[in-house]
Amino acid sequence: MEFNLNFGWSGSIGEVILGATNTDGGTRKRSYHIGGSSNLPFIDQKEFSESPLIAFEICDNVQYWSPIAKSACGDVINDVKDWAKTAETSYDADLVRLHLTSTRERGLRDVSFVKKVVENVLSATGLPLIIEGSNEPSIDSEVFQQCGEAGQGERLLLGTAEANRYRSIAAAALAYNHSVIAQSPIDINLAKQLNILLREIDVPHDRIVIDPYTGALGYGFEYSYSAMERIRFSGLKGDADLTMPMICSPIDTLNIKEVREADIQNQNTIAVMWEFYTGIAAAVAGAEIICIRHPKTVELLKKAFVALKTKNIYQG
Amino acid sequence: MPTVTFLPRYHKIDVELGCTVLDAAQRAGLNINVVCGGQGKCGKCIVFIQRGKIIFDHQKYAQFFTQDELAQGGCLACTTTIESDIQVLVPDTTLIQEQKILVEGQKTEIEFLPSVKKYYVELNLPTLTDPTPDLSRLLWMIQKNGGPVAEKIYAPLEVLRDIPAILRNSDWKVTGTIALVPGVYRLVDLQKNDTSKRLYGASVDLGTTTVVVYLWDLVNGKVVGVSSNYNRQISCGEDILARVNFARKNGLTKLQVLAAESINLALTTASDTAGIDREDIYEVVVAGNTVMTHILLGIDPAYMISEPYVPVVRRALSVAASRIGITCNSNGGLFVFPAVSDFIGGDVIADILTCGMVDREEISLLIDIGTNFEVVLGNKEWMFSCAGAAGPALEGGEVLFGMRANPGAIERIAINPNTFNTTYSTINNTKPRGICGSGLIDLLAELLRTCVIDRTGRINLGIKNKRIRQGKYFPEVVVTWAKESEIGKDIVITENDIKNLIMSKASIHAACITLMKAADITRHQISKIYFAGAFGNYLNKKNATTIGLIPEIPIEQIENIGNGAVAGANIALINRRKRKALDNIALKIAYIELNAEPTFMDEYTSSSFLPHTDLSLFPNVQRMLDECRLQRE
Repeated sequence: MEFNLNFGWSGSIGEVILGATNTDGGTRKRSYHIGGSSNLPFIDQKEFSESPLIAFEICDNVQYWSPIAKSACGDVINDVKDWAKTAETSYDADLVRLHLTSTRERGLRDVSFVKKVVENVLSATGLPLIIEGSNEPSIDSEVFQQCGEAGQGERLLLGTAEANRYRSIAAAALAYNHSVIAQSPIDINLAKQLNILLREIDVPHDRIVIDPYTGALGYGFEYSYSAMERIRFSGLKGDADLTMPMICSPIDTLNIKEVREADIQNQNTIAVMWEFYTGIAAAVAGAEIICIRHPKTVELLKKAFVALKTKNIYQG
Repeated sequence: MPTVTFLPRYHKIDVELGCTVLDAAQRAGLNINVVCGGQGKCGKCIVFIQRGKIIFDHQKYAQFFTQDELAQGGCLACTTTIESDIQVLVPDTTLIQEQKILVEGQKTEIEFLPSVKKYYVELNLPTLTDPTPDLSRLLWMIQKNGGPVAEKIYAPLEVLRDIPAILRNSDWKVTGTIALVPGVYRLVDLQKNDTSKRLYGASVDLGTTTVVVYLWDLVNGKVVGVSSNYNRQISCGEDILARVNFARKNGLTKLQVLAAESINLALTTASDTAGIDREDIYEVVVAGNTVMTHILLGIDPAYMISEPYVPVVRRALSVAASRIGITCNSNGGLFVFPAVSDFIGGDVIADILTCGMVDREEISLLIDIGTNFEVVLGNKEWMFSCAGAAGPALEGGEVLFGMRANPGAIERIAINPNTFNTTYSTINNTKPRGICGSGLIDLLAELLRTCVIDRTGRINLGIKNKRIRQGKYFPEVVVTWAKESEIGKDIVITENDIKNLIMSKASIHAACITLMKAADITRHQISKIYFAGAFGNYLNKKNATTIGLIPEIPIEQIENIGNGAVAGANIALINRRKRKALDNIALKIAYIELNAEPTFMDEYTSSSFLPHTDLSLFPNVQRMLDECRLQRE
């Protein structure tokens, strides 16, 4: 039976460019144009159509990192440069997402080290970079300033702008020509509101990636899915403030009860499966970037994307 | 038993240990301003304990006090409990002040068709050849003098008992009063001699907070007196829920008596001003919210405030005024407006009658804003209604320097886009003490226009100006400096205040949209928006649209009808045909329960933005704001 999968959308998703190669004045080996689709994901089923990108998440202070992710990555976690390099060469990720967890230290004042960390990671990998800044409003401005400056010309994706703190990150992105992640708590209206706020302080649409916030499967992901669906429908119907690509980070999956309390011999497998299923669901809902912390999940997702595009049943 | 002494007037009262200062003050007859109903949320009931032992958690409520106030023993009356004899200073600012109450009536002319009439008649003496009974003799003569058909007039026993004596003691010259109660004419009174010029009626708006009375001369069709006062039930709780809960705990009697007393008080004041006798008031028409009218009639309102929210009656009621303790003519009638549901009461039916939307083909949107809000959408064919809690923010509650529309309240305000200096006007032109609802709406619109706040209401602390600063708890904007203000403090609006205001406006706008979707119409099909309620007349229509309180339609199509409840009661008092139509209005209205409406939360979130997340609903506001932003850059 044939279904008509052409829904007659009037709009299309805008493109955001991540990473700058030599020719664009950067030092990345590749750059990506994410977005651009004019239909729902995996509908066209062409083998060579774009798959969602996979960003591997690393951090510069592993004290706050999931023990499962740490043990899966091994010793490389002790040097953020090695880790970034491994993500590219061994895990085969498309992007590296660096969390500046070192900025979470209490009472931190001097954040000048941030610039060095970013420079180190940029030198260690040729992949385009996503950088997650601080969680602390009092140092936000300085941290984003350092990131922005260190990555000047590299077309970074900076995170994370929220409705109650978006000015300093937007300022850094505008000053150094980067893009921003705009995160809202699982609600289409709040997502749109934040995009309007950013637009009104002159962040152009092609420099915004929506993070609809991703709950773990079984822990609210169905709300995320529904919000993402609505955001994507609105974008495809032509609502200019919602036509941005989306990024999803199912990071909670490694910390949920089922994974934490699993038998030790099954724990790793359950963790991977949980991250995988949340990730694949986010991709089906329309995410252009899926962020992952377990190396094994990267491999599984890549296979699954091919299967989804080619009608080949995935048998992993 | 501890004795509490209230300064400056030295009111004394004995109370039991552990009683709150607020309770004690109310028992001593002081009208303390408790917007939140005594929950420690509004910070309006500041008193100073000068002597004695009390328990009060200063830390928990620190945000409501300045250092000075704390040093002087500042406490919140509602959460302070009395542990010994104490002496308390109650500052003027803590007492409820005289309130600005709308008394404007109807603009269009209403046909004068009162439902009470007096007939002066001189009867022929009965003889052996003409032994017609007294009553028939009287009624025939009334009919002959233009009154209704004698056989159709019903005479109650109380009047019948008086007839023989009155006729004979007055030399057969008497004045009969005939009322047209639904379906039947009724002889309500018989007086000696000619009193036909002394016939009065009263229309009453029985509000949760205030009672307004208009006194009409029902012979000439003129207003002879107006009076208003607070609803004396305030001492049993500020809002409707508090009143119903009070009734649950303590029974209905006290509230019923207080409601009747509040009306009596206003009736007395109005009669005294007009120089008339209350015995000559033959009819009282009451429009009030559903809970108020239930309580006035002594009907238990408890079942309508919890699921499934069922009121007891949905039709107009006529009873003898004396049966519920209203002091007017002993045979005087009381007419109570019908209600539709728990929250769409007689006051809203009165609004509908006043604005005339029920007579027109074009679609109108009526919004009544008070502590709660009610919205009605429709025309002569159909009507949808809904109601909800607006939150107290638009009446000045849950806003740090918010206040009711009392003297000293900033009611209009503008901000200079370059210096951020403010120009404002206050009620009675006194020094400012706070900001009332209309001032808050102006303020919100001005802060948005000058880009001091973004569309979510967050203050941009990046702006270098001494009026824009980080306060103790929240970012804030200084509206007036301490030296200009009556209260000796900087009057500010905080980010938290703004958040509360946005929540209020969002629920009202979301309710409008919910009704429009239910009726499947767009804002372009709305021919009129009517504002009723407390700040209706003072509201700046442009600013109300700018912040997205109401759907955007051309300004000239927005109309303030002020106190629509009393205006509607006036119409029903002087025109019996309009009164007859009320039950039909009530039956026509479909009520939409917002709690049960799955899309309401979605509408609410999208309305929680200035003016709205869907900017295409506010094209002109959007254009104006874009221009303002460009000018700033």
